[in-house]
Amino acid sequence: MSRASHAELKLEDETFLTDDFLRQLINVGEVDILVGLPTHNNAKTVGSVVDAIRIGILRSFPRERAVIINADGGSRDGTPGLITGMSIYDARPASNLHALRTLHSISTTYSNGTSGGGALRTILAAAELLRAKACIVMSPESAKTQPEWISNLAAPIYREGFDLVAPTYRRHKFDGLLMTNLLYPMIRALYGLRLREPYMPEFGFSSRIGSQFLGGNGWSDRNGTGTELRFTLAAIKGGSRICQAFLGEKDHTERRAADLVPALRQTVGPLFSAMEADFPVWSTVTGSNSIPTIGSDHELMLDPIRVNRKRLREMFATGVAELESVFHLILSSSTLAELQRLARLDDEAFHYPAELWVKTIYEFAAAYQKSVINRDHIVQALAPLFRGRAVTFLIENRSASASEVEVNIEALCVEFERLKPYLMQMWKSRE
Amino acid sequence: MPLNTDPLWYKDAIIYQVHVRTFYDSNADGIGDFPGLEQKLDYLQELGVNAIWLMPFFPSPLRDDGYDISDYHSVHPSYGTLEDFRKVLHAAHERGIRVIIEMVLNHTSDQHPWFKEARGSRGNPRRDWYVWSDTDNRYKGTRIIFLDTEKSNWAWDPESQSFYWHRFFSHQPDLNYDNPAVREQMWDVMRFWLDMGVDAFRLDAVPYLVEREGTNCENLPETHGILKDLRHRLDEQFNCRMLLAEANQWPADLRPYFGDGDEFHMAFHFPLMPRMFMGLKLEDRKPITEILQQTPEIPPSCQWSLFLRNHDELTLEMVTDMERDYMYDMYAASKTMRLNLGIRRRLAPLLNNDRRRIELMNGMLMSLPGTPIIYYGDEIGMGDNILLGDRNGVRTPMQWTGGWNAGFSVSDPTHLYAPLIQDPVYGYPAVNVLSQRESEHSLLHWMQRIIKVRKSNVVFGRGSIEFLYPANHRILAYLRWLGRETVLVVNNLSGTAQAVELDLRRHKGNILIEMFGDNIFPRVGDLPYLLTLGPYQFYWFRLRRV
Repeated sequence: MSRASHAELKLEDETFLTDDFLRQLINVGEVDILVGLPTHNNAKTVGSVVDAIRIGILRSFPRERAVIINADGGSRDGTPGLITGMSIYDARPASNLHALRTLHSISTTYSNGTSGGGALRTILAAAELLRAKACIVMSPESAKTQPEWISNLAAPIYREGFDLVAPTYRRHKFDGLLMTNLLYPMIRALYGLRLREPYMPEFGFSSRIGSQFLGGNGWSDRNGTGTELRFTLAAIKGGSRICQAFLGEKDHTERRAADLVPALRQTVGPLFSAMEADFPVWSTVTGSNSIPTIGSDHELMLDPIRVNRKRLREMFATGVAELESVFHLILSSSTLAELQRLARLDDEAFHYPAELWVKTIYEFAAAYQKSVINRDHIVQALAPLFRGRAVTFLIENRSASASEVEVNIEALCVEFERLKPYLMQMWKSRE
Repeated sequence: MPLNTDPLWYKDAIIYQVHVRTFYDSNADGIGDFPGLEQKLDYLQELGVNAIWLMPFFPSPLRDDGYDISDYHSVHPSYGTLEDFRKVLHAAHERGIRVIIEMVLNHTSDQHPWFKEARGSRGNPRRDWYVWSDTDNRYKGTRIIFLDTEKSNWAWDPESQSFYWHRFFSHQPDLNYDNPAVREQMWDVMRFWLDMGVDAFRLDAVPYLVEREGTNCENLPETHGILKDLRHRLDEQFNCRMLLAEANQWPADLRPYFGDGDEFHMAFHFPLMPRMFMGLKLEDRKPITEILQQTPEIPPSCQWSLFLRNHDELTLEMVTDMERDYMYDMYAASKTMRLNLGIRRRLAPLLNNDRRRIELMNGMLMSLPGTPIIYYGDEIGMGDNILLGDRNGVRTPMQWTGGWNAGFSVSDPTHLYAPLIQDPVYGYPAVNVLSQRESEHSLLHWMQRIIKVRKSNVVFGRGSIEFLYPANHRILAYLRWLGRETVLVVNNLSGTAQAVELDLRRHKGNILIEMFGDNIFPRVGDLPYLLTLGPYQFYWFRLRRV
């Protein structure tokens, strides 16, 4: 890199907050509660979300200085205007909400596309500049956001000294399969914490860990995706006080097949990446501990939904066949052979057992660490295998009650923990 | 300095509220008196005030600090004689200071001869001068004002075996204004003092004059009718006199007390005062601007009366429950500081004796639309004594010096009507007029200065207001203007330095002249006008096109 381009980069890095946004922050001043709202074309849902945020602040923190910070990825549907229009201030007293204080709702556009990294970075920077005591990030898509969520996420930080508040939700038993089959059990096994939603659409954090993460070296474009998960892992690694708070029902989002790879990039990629740096931490952890939870630990809804298992299994089989050469580089021969056997089974006989699934993941993680091929390709290659595992989960829990689903998830977690020595073995052999 | 003959004199007034008992004792009996007050008029002239409001000085059993009057035509012997009062009136007028006295229309003391006669027998001609009932079930929709002491607005009179109506203490029976003889009698009382030369009345508790079943017995049309009649008689028979309403009501309910300029000249803006304290603590102008937005226009001849503190508790009746809880927690952490629906503390202790906040609050008092009232002792930052009962903690002797009895009296200290403030922070050795006169940077000198600056520009008393609403909510900024004269006021409500951009484009080309130092600030252009203010700092700028 030439000296000139390095200087430009540095300048850009130092001024990622625009002058206009800084001016807005000056007007806001120091705050107690900061609510960050990353958006990109969320006009359909963001109004009700901001309304819930506003009511939540007024109900639970009526005396505190609060601000809503919108970091927008360049919406073209008027999203920022919907948010800034929800300010409560004296020049526009039409609001029917009774508030002691002014509530600023300000917006800025972050620069690096629509990935979450730029949004979170903007929110963290604002939190640091405003010396926010408690910060929360809210999803702009949750039509079911309730005012109580604000208190549930912020109060443990503001009033009880926690550093990170992760959410738990009432979800459909087949919602969040990546979470239940991979992220939750693996992070639990690695770091020893039973964090149900490590990839958090909504969460709360203290200014302390916000500033630590902001000051870290994780803001290059390469690390742009999965910032939220990296944030969680950094908090865990840093020994932060973590708790969970039950929020309520989470919207069920219809996922397209094409959504899976981006989701893996945002979650599994950062997880595998963090494992490299965090080896001294996770390699010494055995078993797992529960963490303080405010409200219900987790709730499941059981109403029937249609899932095309056949198509998922076919995509698994196709993937195993088409990516055989890639899997030869990633997986052990025994694991690959077993997967190829599964790929030949019909719908009735198909079963991707927990042990094989855990070994698959651990071998992928070790391959990622070794960079046997391009790391992004490794993450992408996991997609068909995950679909296969999803089929088995769907079948196993087709008519399961909530408690039976919980038992099955717990069994998978235990399997991840039991096979951790296998991960160590793979990790070291790769070295 | 003769009194000016401007009938709107009250718009330019700076009023000093004082109880004669508290100010200066001339005869060594431990109680302030009129000759003592007369001796201290030079001090008030030096301070710059041009009106004094005297709290009740009439004969009274003093069970409510004189608001329980037993004779409307005389002076309580402890304070001197009627002749002593006349001398004060004359001496004040000679110094250009007008005199406002209390007039308690709503009720008398139960020791007043009228009430004694009324309770004497049901057939007594004075019986109907008060409000009687055989049952305590009438007017059920009426709130109780002194919640901490009274359980009902009716009290049982064992003498005449019936209940009598009282909105305040049970020893203060309400007069019956449905009786024409009462109305005539009370005008006679007012005329007695007006004939003597009194400039104005602060009419106490005016919303409660008339009772009607099915109402809350406040602000009734019949009450307004009575007040309009008093005003009519006043205008017909006297010049340059003024009526000031004490009506602790929401702005919309207060508005009718001005009528069409034919009822009261002035009324206290009760809801503003707690919101000034709230805005300061919240570091947010919202409570202040919102209540002023809700404040209706008043007739051109009328004026709001503004105050920070007075002889009563800092009343929290005109705030929401949430706001009241906040005020209690912020300003009266100890329950002993609370009384009725309010906080019984003085200005300086409320503001933790923070000179910057005291100055800022006085700056707003002097620059918001209305006539400011300074409560005696607040100009030197006197403290309070919350160990004294009721509201007596804010009614302690004036602290003139650090010497014997604070220079208030040469009596035996045990004879003082109330103990002096003696704590290390606010006690008279630390806070007194003499030492502050000697110190160039004292609060007293600062108060003299701000009063002088306020009086230098007529916009403060008579001008309109326009809020600027800068994006920084910690900054309360407004323009006061009258004709071609415009003043910009910028207040930083926060304890930290603030930057603010003001949209002054309509005044492009003007230079700003800071009014305390007469220094010139940059000319207003097309860009937002950038100012930085230190903690609790405020600016008054005169806009001038050169």
